Amino acid sequence: MRTVLVLGERAVREAKRTPDALLPTLLIPIFFLIVNTGQAAKIFPTGSTPWLEGQGYAAFQLPATLLLAASFGTAALYLVEEIENGYFDKLRATPISRGSLAMGRLSAEALKSTLMTIVILVIAFPFGIRIASGVIGVVLLILLTAGWAVGYSGFLQFVALKTRNAAATNSAGLIFFPLLFLTPNFVPRGLLARPMEIAATFNPVTYVMEALRSLILVDLDWPVIGVGFLVTGGFVALTLWMNIRTMAKYD
Amino acid sequence: MTSSTDSSAPETTNNTPAISANGLVKTFTGRSGTVEAVRGVDLTVQPGEVFGFLGPNGAGKSTTVRMLTTLTGITGGSATVAGVDVSSDPDGVRHKIGVALQEAGLDMRQTGRELVVLQARLFGLSRADAGERAQELLELVDLTDAADRLIKGYSGGMKRRLDLASALVHRPEVLFLDEPTTGLDPASRLVVWDEVRRINEKGTTVFLTTQYLEEADQLCERLAIIDDGKIVTEGTPASLKAELKARRGLESDPTLEDVFLDVTGRRRERGAGEVSEVAS
Repeated sequence: MRTVLVLGERAVREAKRTPDALLPTLLIPIFFLIVNTGQAAKIFPTGSTPWLEGQGYAAFQLPATLLLAASFGTAALYLVEEIENGYFDKLRATPISRGSLAMGRLSAEALKSTLMTIVILVIAFPFGIRIASGVIGVVLLILLTAGWAVGYSGFLQFVALKTRNAAATNSAGLIFFPLLFLTPNFVPRGLLARPMEIAATFNPVTYVMEALRSLILVDLDWPVIGVGFLVTGGFVALTLWMNIRTMAKYD
Repeated sequence: MTSSTDSSAPETTNNTPAISANGLVKTFTGRSGTVEAVRGVDLTVQPGEVFGFLGPNGAGKSTTVRMLTTLTGITGGSATVAGVDVSSDPDGVRHKIGVALQEAGLDMRQTGRELVVLQARLFGLSRADAGERAQELLELVDLTDAADRLIKGYSGGMKRRLDLASALVHRPEVLFLDEPTTGLDPASRLVVWDEVRRINEKGTTVFLTTQYLEEADQLCERLAIIDDGKIVTEGTPASLKAELKARRGLESDPTLEDVFLDVTGRRRERGAGEVSEVAS
């Protein structure tokens, strides 16, 4: 754990020194929130749309914004850079566990995601978005989003370790867009056309999105929240295992 | 260079070789087939030696170093470093070695001090001890003035010295230097040579790969030349030269370059004012 924190501290320092890399990860999700809300808010007015639970359409869109921001981690691209310039070998030659090596940058992604979520919420509140589940809900919202950030950055880090190539790693990041659009992103799952509903049911992002949405719109709906945390926890465990396995066999 | 010294020598394990390799083999398998990069290397390096490992490009030098430093798996044979088996206890080996690889691998977004402190903390030092050790090492390699500047602004020589400093944080028993002066100007090269001598005087065994024969002649007590994945000769620089002189019946003393060209079957070729080696 100590070495994870040491490596995480370095990654945070690095992020502070490269604000140019952070800014788009905040602006692009907010852009989508504004555009999607602008396009569909009139179709789903608050008064006649029961699944909005009395809030505006922006509140329904907020989970997609948070997940998008959480999926823009930079850990994998910095890792490719380190593989290319040889510093990764320097780290591999130290007697730290491969798990710590994998988790170092990912711990910084959790912190970055936490800060990013807080900033997005602060921006969202003046537009009338409320977190129905209160303070506990805000904390769970932050934890769930940070967990997704660790899992998805872990997946990209795995791609970086396998390909050792910036272009391939960058392209892998785009996989999130089809995953995001195969969810109940614009309407609840029950209102999707049947093929889309089936696709969304098999898409793990759906359950994380529904958990976030329930925290924003419904209050503490533990079964939905529990599934969201279970899926995220499983995703983190899977990607971490893939990272450690790849690092152990890395030549 | 400052006159400050590295205060403590590494622990040395006497009686056991610092490095021992027996029939070391490395095979890479890719889409284009199988490549045998190292084909049965046997080596013994005694504690406290500066051992040179020479060879033409692609001969297997770096692959051998990567196997001995646990960075690449061993396909066949066995190796111990500081008495620890490389395959069965890689973490044990990592505790005892310092590594400065080809192309000084550094994190350009950190300062020199941050990098050395980080390295020290990864070897288990507390924040305070790591800070003290970093200061000591930065003084040793004459980088105190630049310590709090980002590494991306360092010159090639400064990067090499910083890489060397970061390899010494835990007072390693064996230091691996893979082409530590490649790309440096002559003055910077001399500074690195001084550092290597100073580190070795403290008792650290140094395993040095280089493509500069003069460097090997100046620094190494013993050396081995590898070609096509196999060691083709081994000995002290003086003994290798004497052997060539006797074998060829030469009138003048041969240089290490002559030894190298003789054992690797290469010859010199002059073209466009430059001398280069070519396979004969």
